[in-house]
Amino acid sequence: MRRRIAVLVAISIVLLVGGPVSGQTPDPPATQSPVASPGQTRIEELERRVRELETRLRELEAAATKPLAPPPAPREPAPAQQMPPSLGPPTSVEESSTVSRTGPISGYMDFHLNKPEHEDAQLDFHRFVLLFNHSFSDRLRFVGELELEHAFVSGLEASGEVELEQAYLDFKVKPELNFRAGMVLAPVGIINERHEPPSFHGVERPFVDTFIIPTTWFDAGVGVHGTVGAGWQYRAYLMAPLDATRITAEEGLHEATQKGFASNVRNVAHTGRLEYVGVPGLNLGTSFWRGKTGFNFRRVDSRVGLFEFDGRYRAGRFAARGEFAQVFIDGAADLNDFLQRTAGVSPNIARQMRGFYVEPSIRPLPWIRHDVAAFVRYENFDTQFKMPEGVLPLKQFDRAAWVFGGSYFPDPDVVFKIDYSIIRNRSSLFRSVDSLNIGLGWWF
Amino acid sequence: MTRTTWLRGGSLACAALLVVLVSPSSFSQDPTVIRVTAERFTFTPSHIKVKRGTIVELRLRSEDTNHGFRIVGSGFNAIIPKRGRGEATLIFRADTPGRYTFECSKMCGAGHTFMRGTITVGE
Repeated sequence: MRRRIAVLVAISIVLLVGGPVSGQTPDPPATQSPVASPGQTRIEELERRVRELETRLRELEAAATKPLAPPPAPREPAPAQQMPPSLGPPTSVEESSTVSRTGPISGYMDFHLNKPEHEDAQLDFHRFVLLFNHSFSDRLRFVGELELEHAFVSGLEASGEVELEQAYLDFKVKPELNFRAGMVLAPVGIINERHEPPSFHGVERPFVDTFIIPTTWFDAGVGVHGTVGAGWQYRAYLMAPLDATRITAEEGLHEATQKGFASNVRNVAHTGRLEYVGVPGLNLGTSFWRGKTGFNFRRVDSRVGLFEFDGRYRAGRFAARGEFAQVFIDGAADLNDFLQRTAGVSPNIARQMRGFYVEPSIRPLPWIRHDVAAFVRYENFDTQFKMPEGVLPLKQFDRAAWVFGGSYFPDPDVVFKIDYSIIRNRSSLFRSVDSLNIGLGWWF
Repeated sequence: MTRTTWLRGGSLACAALLVVLVSPSSFSQDPTVIRVTAERFTFTPSHIKVKRGTIVELRLRSEDTNHGFRIVGSGFNAIIPKRGRGEATLIFRADTPGRYTFECSKMCGAGHTFMRGTITVGE
């Protein structure tokens, strides 16, 4: 009410003094009018201007507090002057919900220098990744992720790879239920779905996220995802299974994915993830994978199961993350026997693999303009954790690693990394190799 | 300069001041401020409830890269600055009850499409 009075007072004062000061309407001469007196004309003119100003004020108020209301029926894109006004910096206008939009190309790069102990240093343009997206409408969207690893691809065995890591269609029904089909990322672990270089410490990805969880783990699949309740998210997919012939004693599941290359889906695998993100800075997740793997051996019933849980927490300058993953391989004994008969050597595949890591980090210099972080990560990963009966574990594959280093962010999307990895194993014959790693990564 | 001119000039200044005081940025009620943090690949909070008629001021901040904040079908679409570079603000009046979906409108990584949430306007 007081506001309205103030508006009227303001308008009145403007009307009373504005005209003469601006010199637009000088006082009328004292002459007679046959229609109306000069005073009456003046009053009518003032009333008209009051109405105009009130209308203008209402328009301005309406523009400043735009109501949140359901959208109008789909229509052609409105001309620019009819778009909603900007309400806060920086905002932009929105197209109609049925208009197709192709987003700009995004991507990330990973450029490394690795210097293993007693070996020559190597420069490796490890990853060159481009992401594309296109919205057919508000409900139907395509996302693609194309990756070139190690910069060069040829027919030789030791060369880079071109990988189609994501190429899926999302059918968005409602926040609780959305459908996805195509080439998808397995929703397992911290890194597999969150592998942009500025989003993790260390030049190379954690060992657990390499040998126990085979990041980047992608394959053809279909499934659902969504958010439920306050802060819960889920994914549940059917995906092409792992290939048992590619499981190894040293690298575990690292090479066991079919990668969408004519993936055998005689038996599909089931995978899912549940995350809690309801508290700022906290992210807790658990995921699983279960599927038959022995499709290359009709007489071997082999399955891989994986259970994982992870957490990330950030408070001020401090952050920490951790992950635990365990792999169960049913039929490992039969698998070893069969592969030994066909290849001549037993692959020594374990019936269980296990890995975990913890990684505290700190941003020790909050007063400087750019972010600097220091971290230390302890990892324990054993690809021979439990063996089939009668098979001895290879101790050199029961490993632990200390990785310590730092990250410097000249921009939140650009990171310069350096770390030193100390790896130890339980073998008295085979010594693991430490390494110095320097990396440059960026997201755009 | 005559006395009348001075009076008129002073009155005009007072009027201008009053107009500024009741300008559109001065709402009839204080906005309800809700802080939302964006981070690959979540909004926290991801479910927001407000009462009908509330003027809502969303303050959007990122913990990593640029994100977008788009209320589907409404015309609101803000780009959230990168970590340490301030925040974006969206102000609206929650007049019509219903549930509105918001999502990240700026490609931010492999899990970009998981960044969704809802604003529920209740009676």
